[in-house]
Amino acid sequence: MAELLLDSNIRIWVFLPIVIITFLVGIIRHYATILLTSDKKVEVQQMSDSQALIRSKILRENGRFIPKESFLMRKDFFNNEHTGFFNTQKRDPVMKNPMTVYDLVCFYSSIAKVPFPLTLRFKPMLQRGVELMSLDASWVSSASWYFLNVFGLRSMYSLILGQDNAADQTRMMQDQMTGMASGMPQDTGKAFRAEWEALEICEHQWALEGVEDEIMGMAVTPPETIYIKSKMT
Amino acid sequence: MASSMNWEAARDRLRKLREEQHRCSDEVVSLWEDVLCANSYRLGDELWMVHEQVCIAALDCGNKDVAMMNLHALQEQFPNSMRVRRLRGLFFESQENYDKALKIYDAILDIDETNTLIRKRKIAILKAKDDIRGAIKELNVYVERFMSDYEAWMELCDLYLQEQDYTKAAFCLEELIMSNPHSHLYHEKYAEIKYTQGGIENMCTARRYFAQSLKLNPNNMRALYGLFLSASNVASSKSKDAKTKKDNIKYAAWAAEQITKQYKEVARKKEVDTSSQLTSILHMMDEIQITQTS
Repeated sequence: MAELLLDSNIRIWVFLPIVIITFLVGIIRHYATILLTSDKKVEVQQMSDSQALIRSKILRENGRFIPKESFLMRKDFFNNEHTGFFNTQKRDPVMKNPMTVYDLVCFYSSIAKVPFPLTLRFKPMLQRGVELMSLDASWVSSASWYFLNVFGLRSMYSLILGQDNAADQTRMMQDQMTGMASGMPQDTGKAFRAEWEALEICEHQWALEGVEDEIMGMAVTPPETIYIKSKMT
Repeated sequence: MASSMNWEAARDRLRKLREEQHRCSDEVVSLWEDVLCANSYRLGDELWMVHEQVCIAALDCGNKDVAMMNLHALQEQFPNSMRVRRLRGLFFESQENYDKALKIYDAILDIDETNTLIRKRKIAILKAKDDIRGAIKELNVYVERFMSDYEAWMELCDLYLQEQDYTKAAFCLEELIMSNPHSHLYHEKYAEIKYTQGGIENMCTARRYFAQSLKLNPNNMRALYGLFLSASNVASSKSKDAKTKKDNIKYAAWAAEQITKQYKEVARKKEVDTSSQLTSILHMMDEIQITQTS
């Protein structure tokens, strides 16, 4: 395999800056979140939307404890074709997160070499964005370098900024993956749709059918066992 | 009694009351006056929470001086705090100076319109002014916005009951049952509302919910009586077929039997003589059953 020759300036002008930029952006992010969260307000609309979702969820779970007419009345309030809550309330989708440092790094992609040999297994981890089969595993692409920094600098942040800092991008990425940040659904319209569907297939099965006969058979059972039984059925 | 307590015990007691949200306002105020007032410098940062707690308790007792003192201490420390402004509003409310209180609350809502506590205070003012209809109207707007605030549903239910609007009260209570289906008290109250509404259908529903309440708590005497009354009521009605009647007589008899059993139990445990009450109850039941089954 021919030795790849690269300008050593790449190391100084690409890889070190990535480390510094990632680190500084983390610190800026930390202070920016501190500044913004105190001012950030939850809007009434958002709050009432999430409460409506909770109520509908409770209706699905515990609707069997109320009479059938009452259940259908509530179901109609949420799911009626023309006047239902989930069908009439339309919400604009929430804005996407702005550009991250990752976009910036991809913008000027390049590679550099770590000063020790590595096995082939490290190739997908270290050479993201560089699809060269013949390239030696000890070469690192800048995109991978960025990821290594994001995850590796976490302990540095907690050392400098304290335990619960906001500089951590990894947490933000996890939030994006699960789609739920801080309890509020990101896209209310979608959540409404999902809840509508779940409620639509929910049938009413009265839990109180025949309780009279039931208690006459077991009037002296202690309440704990009853609780367990009613949970199981 | 409280003066013999040392300040640490008093602090712990207040902390416990605060965390478990007990309403022992007398005790809180006397603990403050006898023990903690002189030792307030030792409390550290907890002092401000204690100030808030004592202030509310003093307002609850109508102890204006103590409330004023605590409120002033808080105002000096946090001049811009929403919580302190709310306390000021509460203070004016306790003086029945509703206009001033409303002005404070409206100012807070202008800044933070999601503040549910303030919204509830405004409804409480309407209630204090004895404007039940107005309170119901406002509370309806409120639950439309904040649908899973069960405290509000409970209040709305009570207001409707006060207005004797049973259908709507029952609706509110259904929400509460769903929020906590294992509370026998909700089931019992729902049954009572249905019983009050009357009519065969409602009576059957009432009987069922009294039974559910009994299932959750077999010692609920009120539900036992309810079950007895509703079952004998259905049994005595003319429109139902023979089988339903027979079933209901069975339920009523069972409930009557349980009631007498409970009374005997109490008599045995507490070693008091309940025989006179017992006989009168038995008489009453016989009478009801005879008149209704005949």
